[in-house]
Formats: sequence, C-alpha cells, structure tokens
Amino acid sequence: MSNTNPATGVHQHAHHFDSAEHEFQASKQGMWLFMVTEVLMIGAIFVGYFIMRGRFPEAFHEAHKLLNVKLGALNTAVLIFSSYTMVRGVSAAQRGNPKQCLRFLGTTVAMGAVFCVVKYFEYSHKIHEGTLPGGLYTFEGMTTPHVPLFFSFYFIMTGIHAFHVVVGMSLITWVMFRVKRGEITPEFFTPVELVGFYWHFVDLVWIYLFPLLYLLG
Amino acid sequence: MSDSKNNHSANSGHSHHYILPDSLALKTLLSLGVLTAITVGLSYVHLGPFNFIIGMIVATIKAFLVCSIFMNLRHDDKANAFIFGSGFLFLAIFFCLTAPDVFFRGDVYVNGKPLTMAVRGVSKFKKAWEPTPELVAHGKGLFAQNCVTCHGEAGLGNGVASAGLNPKPRNFTQDKDWKNGRKPAQIFKTLKEGIAGGGMASFATLPAEDRWALAHFVASLGPNILKSEAADFAAIGVDPTKDSAGDDAAPSIPVEIAMKRVAADAEKSGAQGNMKPGTENMGMDMHGYDQRLNAKTFNPNP
Repeated sequence: MSNTNPATGVHQHAHHFDSAEHEFQASKQGMWLFMVTEVLMIGAIFVGYFIMRGRFPEAFHEAHKLLNVKLGALNTAVLIFSSYTMVRGVSAAQRGNPKQCLRFLGTTVAMGAVFCVVKYFEYSHKIHEGTLPGGLYTFEGMTTPHVPLFFSFYFIMTGIHAFHVVVGMSLITWVMFRVKRGEITPEFFTPVELVGFYWHFVDLVWIYLFPLLYLLG
Repeated sequence: MSDSKNNHSANSGHSHHYILPDSLALKTLLSLGVLTAITVGLSYVHLGPFNFIIGMIVATIKAFLVCSIFMNLRHDDKANAFIFGSGFLFLAIFFCLTAPDVFFRGDVYVNGKPLTMAVRGVSKFKKAWEPTPELVAHGKGLFAQNCVTCHGEAGLGNGVASAGLNPKPRNFTQDKDWKNGRKPAQIFKTLKEGIAGGGMASFATLPAEDRWALAHFVASLGPNILKSEAADFAAIGVDPTKDSAGDDAAPSIPVEIAMKRVAADAEKSGAQGNMKPGTENMGMDMHGYDQRLNAKTFNPNP
C-alpha cells in the first residue's frame, strides 16, 4: 500500500512513479475512478427510487410521513459537521500538525458514531412497528397500496449508506494510527486526503437521501 | 491540466499543494447548514411539484459545495472532474433509457390466445350482435374509455384530439357520409379493421363482444336505429344462428399483465418444487422468448 522507509519512517514513492507528486496524482485519480463506481452502484438504486416514486406517488407520499424528520435532520447536521472536521483534519496534516489532525479525525469518527446511534434508534423503531421492506412489512396503520415498496427503498438505501459510514470510520481510524506513527507529513498526506474523499462521498449521498426519503416523499 | 498552485516541477514534493483556509472551511460548513435548514423548512410549505424541484436544486447546490470546496475539485486536475462527472452522465443515460420503458410499457402488447383468454375470462353475452339494454350500457362504458378522446362524449366528433385530425372524426348523431355504413354489423367491421386512409384505428384487440357492445351503443346515438342484415353478417364472417359471439379479437394484452401472469405461474410451479421456466409456455409468442427459456442451457433443473 505504501512504501515507508523502516529506518527513517519517511514515505518514499514507489519506483514505478517519476516522483512523489506523480504518485499522489495517480492515487487521487484512482480514488476518483473508484468513486465513479460508487456513484453508479448507489445511482442504480436512486434510478429505481425515482421510477417507482413516479409510478406510485401516493404510496411514497403517505409512507414518508412515517419517517422521523427531526432525527433525519439531526443526522444531516452531524454528517455535514463531520465533513467539516474531516477537511480540517486534512489541512492540519498538510500543515504538519499531527496533534490537531488527530483531534479533527477523532471528532470525525465520533460524529460517524453519533450518526450510527441515531440510525440505530430509527431502525429499531421501524423494526418494532413492522414498517420493514417487502414481505417483512407487518405495519397495519397504512392502507395505501405499495407502501412496503417505499420501505424496501428506505432500508436498502440507508443500509448501504450506513455500511459506508462504518467503512469510512474504520478507514479514518486506520489513518489516525498512521498519523500517530508519524507516517503522515506535509510531504506525504495521500491517505488522509483520499480517505477524506471517501468520507465526503458518504456525506454527498446523504445530502440526496435525506430530502428524497424524509422530506419529499 | 492542474491549477497553477498544484502545478510545479517534478520531485518538488507536496509542499505547494493547495491548503483549504480554515475560514473558507467554516463558511462552507455554515452555508451547508443554512441550505439544510432551507430544505427542512420548505418541507412544511406546500408548493406542489416545486417542493421536489427546489429540494433537488438545494441538494445539488450542497453537493456542488462539498465537491468543489471540501473535495477541492476546483483546484484539481480537470481530468478528475471529467471522470467524476462521467459517472453522473451515465446515470442520466440509465434513467432516460429505463423511464420510458416503465412508463410506456402499457402500450406494448404480448400475443397469445390462451393467455389473453385466461386474462379476459369467459364471454358474458350470447348473440352479442342482437342489441340488448345491457350490451348498450356496456358499450357506453367502453365508449368513454376508448372513443371520447376523438369522437367526444356525445359522439359529435368533437373530442379533444379531433382538433388535430383531418378528416375529422365521425359525428355519430347524423347519418351522412358513413364509410362502411351505420348498421351494427357494419360498425363492427369498422371497429375491427379501422378505416384505411382515415384517422380511425383498428380496435381488433378488444374482444368481439366489446366491439358488438360499442357498435350497438354507437348505432343508438344516431337519428334512427338500423338493423343488421344477412349480407352484413356474411361480410364479417359471423353466423347469426349460432350462440357465441366468437372471440375473434387479436389475442393481445398489455405486456405488464402478461408479466404478472408469468410471475404468478412461476411462483406456482416454484411452490411445487418444479421450477422450469417456460415449460408451460401459455401459448405466448413473445418473439421467441419462451423458446429461449426452453433452451437447455437456461434450464436450472434439466
């Protein structure tokens, strides 16, 4: 993954790159390509959502009222704030301030955890009520047909997103270890920057999920 | 390629990379917060379809802020912006190809007599060529579904779509200029075949008894009700001494109904532990679709 000189602890660019800059740009481009695959994966579900919503607007409208807007808005604020702490963490790494970097990255992971806890309360409430996807749907308080379809989309979309949050938190934790070991310097901060991209992407998905599921249904 | 701040000679390391100023990061955070508040606030105001449009525009502004400032795409290599943008481009293509299929699938038909018979059920009317009040009432309902767009609610030939038609749709309340005549059997012929060179389409996909019902209803709109004669029946190949209306409808049903039926049958055969798609091919001719299903390579339980 990286070439760290065991004697000095300083990153050296791999021999097939001309320079550290070359290596950094190549890594970054690879990250963008990876994020395109993410866009296409989550995007396919968004297309399904738009089409089914177009076909059954009443069902989606009725069903979205069962979601808790306050918790959704809280999670939106939490994720946006975590994106902010993430960029501050990257800036701190670029300026060669590992202590500040660790503080910001730690806050970011904590925000991710808050997001997961809120999501846990939302999910357990839905499991309790029986507003579950497809055939698992047992809620009796809604007679509009096709309402379970909305919850299929809700659980799959937010489930994939929550999985990304957990992966992002793990990656940031890994980066924090590298910062602590002194491997991240103003000359080499590729892992911080690229994991930051991943985290912002998670935020990006939520920016669309929140209005589509909680507000506009 | 790169922004000037990023563009430096090789081997110079990372020292000249753009570092996001803390103040700009904070401003972006506040903007995102304000935009979120706007989205939430808007959801309590009812603006009809504009709720959705504005909500999506605000979300896109937020996404743009995150990409260009937090992910620093504005100072990045333009190739990266192009790469990321191409993902959304392909998503748009995906949506534009899928949506027409789903929303206009009702216009596509599947042929297959046993299937259409199964969906339509058994004929309710005997000797449908002989007018009865029930048939006329049935015809009235069908008229409202199939005919009023062009012929108008009262059959005056002044429906919404008539404005764009030349020749104008027939006015059923007068007896001049009828191409095929206005006896029920003659109207039946028109419904089956349409009128070549005119705007009248064929309604051969309607079951025969529905077309008879329509013919009787249309005939009842005129100044006088004419009776079909032996020669008129001969012209459409109907033997009026028999009981059955004879379902000579083109055996077509919307593909959506056909797919539901296929799914129901698949579920049934799956429940019996005998999941062999296409083995009871239901007489469908889906352009070789069931032949492909029958191919050995496609059979999960040969």
